Amino acid sequence: MKPDPVPLHGVTDGIELARRVLDTRVCEVRRLAGGLQQRDQQGLHDFRIACKRVRYALERFADLDSSLETVAKHFELLQDALGEAHDRDVLLSVLPVAMGQTEQRLAAEREASVDRAVVLWAQAQELLLDCPLIVLEAASNHS
Amino acid sequence: MKWLKGTVEKERRALEGARRRFISKPTEKRLHSVRTAGRRFRSLLEDVAELAPSAKLLGRVKRAAEQTDAARDATILLRLLENSVDPSERHLAEPLLAKLSAREKEATRLAHKRLRRARFTGSRGT
Repeated sequence: MKPDPVPLHGVTDGIELARRVLDTRVCEVRRLAGGLQQRDQQGLHDFRIACKRVRYALERFADLDSSLETVAKHFELLQDALGEAHDRDVLLSVLPVAMGQTEQRLAAEREASVDRAVVLWAQAQELLLDCPLIVLEAASNHS
Repeated sequence: MKWLKGTVEKERRALEGARRRFISKPTEKRLHSVRTAGRRFRSLLEDVAELAPSAKLLGRVKRAAEQTDAARDATILLRLLENSVDPSERHLAEPLLAKLSAREKEATRLAHKRLRRARFTGSRGT
C-alpha cells in the first residue's frame, strides 16, 4: 500500500514539516480505520501499515514536541496487537486442514488481538486530540 | 533544512550499521534490527520525498526489505506454530514445522548473501 504523498510546498522549518507529515499520516490512518471495524485480513493489514507510518512519524518528531512520545508508545501497542492478528491470519492460511484444535485456538487468539486493537485505537484517537502539533477534526465521524 | 539533513543522515547510518552487524553475524535479532531500521528510514524518505527526493536510495531500502521478508516470515510462523500447536495435533504439525525451519535457514542465507552486496552509503540520487 503506497503512502499518501505529504504536501511540503513552502515548508522551511521543522515544526511545519512535522505538522504536515503528521496531518497526512493521521488522516491516512483514520481513513483506513474501517478495516479494523470490518476485521478482514486485507483491511487490517492496510490499517496496520498506516499505524506503523504514524508511529514512526510520531517518534521522529518527538524531540520537537514531547507529548508525541506518549502517543507513539500507544501506537506501538496498537501495532503489536494488529501484528499478532496478522501473524495468525498468515499461519491459518497454511495450516493443514486436519489441525482443527490448533485452528480454533489461533482463530480465537486472532479475534482477541483485534478486540484489543479496537480498544487501543479508540484510546489513540483521544491521545491524538491532545497533541498540539496535530490538528484533527474532533467532530468528524472517523471510527 | 538542517534538521532534515541530520535526521536523514542519522537514520541512514543506523540502517548501514544494522546491515553490517547482520553481515558479520547473521542472527534472527540482527535481521530484525535491519528490518526495523529499514522501515524507519523508508518511512522518513517517503514522508519528506517532496523536500528531499531520493528515489534511488528509497529503491535500495525497499529492495533490502524485500530481501529479508522471507526469512522473517518463516521465523515468525515457525515460532508461532511451535507455541500454539495443540498437543494432540503435534504429529500433524511436524511436516509444516520442518518445512518452515528449512525455509527459515535458506531465506536467512539468501538475505545474508544479498545484503552483503547492498550499500546505504549515499543519500543523493533521484
